Amino acid sequence: MLRKLMKHEFRATGRIMLPLFLILLVTSVGANFSTRGLLETDNKFLDVLGVLLVMAFAIAIVGVCVMSMVVMVQRFYKNLLQDEGYVMMTLPVSVHQHIWSKLIVSAVWFALTLVVVCLACFIMAFDVGFVHQIAAGFRELFQEICRNLSAYYAINGTAVIVEFLVMCFVGCCAMCLQFYAALAIGHSRPNHKMAWSVLSFFAIQFIMQFLGGMGIVLLDESWFHHLLLGWTDNISGMASVHLGMVAMILGEVVVGAIFYVLTTWFLKKRLNLE
Amino acid sequence: MAVLECKNLTKQYGHVTALEDVSFSIEPGRIVGLLGPNGSGKTTLIKLANGLLTPTSGELTICNAAPGKETHAIVSYLPERTSIPLWMTATQLLDFYQDFYKDFRRDAAEEMLAHLNIPAKQRIKQMSKGTREKVQLIVTMSRAAQLYLLDEPIGGVDPATRDYILSTIIGNYNPEAAVVISTHLISDVEKVLDEVIFINQGHVVLQSSVDEIREEKGMSVDALFREVFKC
Repeated sequence: MLRKLMKHEFRATGRIMLPLFLILLVTSVGANFSTRGLLETDNKFLDVLGVLLVMAFAIAIVGVCVMSMVVMVQRFYKNLLQDEGYVMMTLPVSVHQHIWSKLIVSAVWFALTLVVVCLACFIMAFDVGFVHQIAAGFRELFQEICRNLSAYYAINGTAVIVEFLVMCFVGCCAMCLQFYAALAIGHSRPNHKMAWSVLSFFAIQFIMQFLGGMGIVLLDESWFHHLLLGWTDNISGMASVHLGMVAMILGEVVVGAIFYVLTTWFLKKRLNLE
Repeated sequence: MAVLECKNLTKQYGHVTALEDVSFSIEPGRIVGLLGPNGSGKTTLIKLANGLLTPTSGELTICNAAPGKETHAIVSYLPERTSIPLWMTATQLLDFYQDFYKDFRRDAAEEMLAHLNIPAKQRIKQMSKGTREKVQLIVTMSRAAQLYLLDEPIGGVDPATRDYILSTIIGNYNPEAAVVISTHLISDVEKVLDEVIFINQGHVVLQSSVDEIREEKGMSVDALFREVFKC
């Protein structure tokens, strides 16, 4: 059932995101024309057109990034907590499957947004003089790295990249779940559901920051901190990077899990569709 | 075995009691009218049966199971408002129902769409309010469910369409299943009902077969309703 939920979720979100991606790629071609010559002509019309094309490209990048966030929040809100909720919440699927389908699909759109923005930037910079020089510089840097690359750096470098990607994925999920939890809490109220949702979001934010701050203060004087200080002489820089990344991933997993439990509990026990 | 059973069911919204100590059961093969004035607790009861609300106390079971994922597979629910995704076309909506419900009869749904001249490729958003309600009823009644919970199925449509909807309900429900129709438009639905449950201010005030009402009280359900709920 999760697969089917995701299929329909992709269908519902794709009709918004795919045209936006297309618009971004088209504006990147326009921006490429602009940087390759339109901005440097003596013709006023072409000059203005060049500026407009670059502006359209910048707006499209911002628009796509903002819309991927808006779609993530709006799908949860409209699909589960508004009128469509009557159909969705009476499907023979569990609340967990609903949340996972929304989470996975949102994470995929975030990743695709990143890929398409990078692609659009490449298109914009294609065959542009100064970008060639930057690219050549990167190429030299890469070749230099390859010449001096040892197995130690290759393995650790790959591990750090993987850890970074995992951290981004878990972070995306935790961020989505914070919105979901706030909406689920707010919509359990009989009135002013959206106002309660916004309030819940900031209350959650405040509590997390407060607990985080308290945690750091308490850890500062704890045995754990002394244990870490004891390690500093025996642990390499690379190992401490891995340790830090794993700690951040675990921290995000814990935060995400708290939001997940809150969201499922409110959707199961306190669902209050109007 | 009762398809739907309530035992001392109570639902409160804060300090407001929507249902209080409600007990009744509905057997298979019956078409039951859940009748009451506005705000009597009909929709709350149907939402509880669909797991959209949680009871404050008491118990509600569908085929001996509490509302949840398993009961959703055997209950076909028509909400009081249009809740099908408006961005879909009618065909996409049929795909959606076919994906999630094993008992969905696509051929029956397509036949009803064609009979009502509803274009399958048109987006639901572009349809009139009445047509949207028809589409929603078609997908609900195209399931071979064990319990149909229809909340105000004829509330927003013209009298001619009401007749079509009622004949659709009669013609398409599984004879082994129970149908619960919540409405206050009693004269329209009376002819299809086997049984009625009168509900007022969160209490069940009467559960009786339609034949008993006619024979023992010598009046129609509509007349009895007007007498019981006289303002």
